[in-house]
Amino acid sequence: MKWLWYIFREAWVNLWTNRTTTVVATLTTAFTLACVGIFLLSYVNLRNAADWLQEDIKVIVYLDDGVSSAETQELEEKLKEDRMVAAIRHISKEEALGEFRSQFPSDSHLLEGLGENPLPASFVVTPAPSYRSPDAVSRWAERVLTMAGVAKVDYNQQWIDALAELIRYIELTAIGVGVILCAAALTIIANTIRLALFARRDEVEILRLIGATNAFIRIPYFLEGALLGACGSALALGMLKLGFELFRHQIASAGRFRGIENMVSFFPLSICLIFIAVGMGLGVAGSMVSLRRFGEGRG
Amino acid sequence: MMATDAMIQLIHVSKSYDRRIALSDVTLEIGKGEFVLLMGPSGAGKSTLLRMLIGEERPDQGQIFVQGRNVSRLKQAEVPYLRRKIGTVFQDFRLFPQKSVFENVALPLIVQRASVTDIRRKVTEALRAVGVEHNKDQLPHSLSTGERQRVCIARAIVNGPVVLLADEPTGNLDPERTAEIIELFKLINARGTTVIVATHDPHVMALVSRRVITLTQGGLAEER
Repeated sequence: MKWLWYIFREAWVNLWTNRTTTVVATLTTAFTLACVGIFLLSYVNLRNAADWLQEDIKVIVYLDDGVSSAETQELEEKLKEDRMVAAIRHISKEEALGEFRSQFPSDSHLLEGLGENPLPASFVVTPAPSYRSPDAVSRWAERVLTMAGVAKVDYNQQWIDALAELIRYIELTAIGVGVILCAAALTIIANTIRLALFARRDEVEILRLIGATNAFIRIPYFLEGALLGACGSALALGMLKLGFELFRHQIASAGRFRGIENMVSFFPLSICLIFIAVGMGLGVAGSMVSLRRFGEGRG
Repeated sequence: MMATDAMIQLIHVSKSYDRRIALSDVTLEIGKGEFVLLMGPSGAGKSTLLRMLIGEERPDQGQIFVQGRNVSRLKQAEVPYLRRKIGTVFQDFRLFPQKSVFENVALPLIVQRASVTDIRRKVTEALRAVGVEHNKDQLPHSLSTGERQRVCIARAIVNGPVVLLADEPTGNLDPERTAEIIELFKLINARGTTVIVATHDPHVMALVSRRVITLTQGGLAEER
């Protein structure tokens, strides 16, 4: 097991010998990965918000004024049988008027001058969970609109569509920016490893001459890269968490957005671990790039 | 193909770098347990020959056998295993400056994944054999040049190689230290290891009354 101890010690000696470079590389990697994290965090929270809004989605099916109670019941039965419908509630014209009066008591006189109740009867439909996407709701609304007795189908389409589009843009930007910044992190780590290799090229040469295999020579540098990547990503997570808590505190103290602070959330543990694993992977990839360029593999 | 008592065999070996001939059609055989001096001026091809024996260079033409194995056809992944059978001593010692004498000598055993007990026993034996056991905890820079060369020799013999190659091992030493190092090589040779010492120093030849191969301008000039 002496060789294993040797390999770990060499990785540590490399990092310690070039500690200034190591610290700079770790910080630069951390800032770079924190930028990736900001996009990822925004994406995750907007995605959660979209899911939450989609869960809360209600479709209102307004009925023609001339629809009889038998036709209304027939339509209700039809809608209840639909796979898309999870729950349905009928609101008669009278109930609609009552709701209007209770919600807008100061404006209730506006309707009194019209004589007859102008508000239509309606069905409030809660879509089934698997049909809550904007596309599915839109397709279903178009279909329901063709049914006899239906005057109009309404739902918060524009808001949901806009949010879905925003999420798509953020997703694409996050992928683009993520790839560029990950490449930057990889280059930084590769450069650090290259400096370490250059500083120790004579020692690498000696190891080769005394019969060390390429794996034996490379593993300390892979470990060094992995450690740099892991430290960089862990530090990035720390910075993100700090920024996130500050943001939440600011939101909480600003009265206008009260309540939003409880809706936003930080990465779950699983994503944090994946984030660190990606950092380690970038570190190992950086070491591989350096070792290949350095030409250590020569017999 | 190769005589059974031959440790090393070169058959019509040639090597050149950018049209400069380093070795030209060299054919020679070195037997098991032989002590050979490889003489010649700088640039005669001595170092090139040694580098070929450890697979660091490949011949442009010809074949090289070490212990029956065709070195010129080894795959890159097999080269480290060849080097574990051959101890190498350098003029500039090539020791790890931040490692102690003990750690430097232990390296060939560590790369072979030897056990801690084996490492302790073999390193102690090697250090005792070259007379620097008392320096085992010191760093190389605190040693004299003669002591550093002894550490280098201990590292070369620690895993019991079948061949010991020394490239100008006395280049940095005074005559007294040179004589001591040559005596060490003779002792190692007496234990059965084939020893090849490349040097341009005629004083070394006076100290060794063994086989001498002389190279000039890449060719085999004289053998006695």
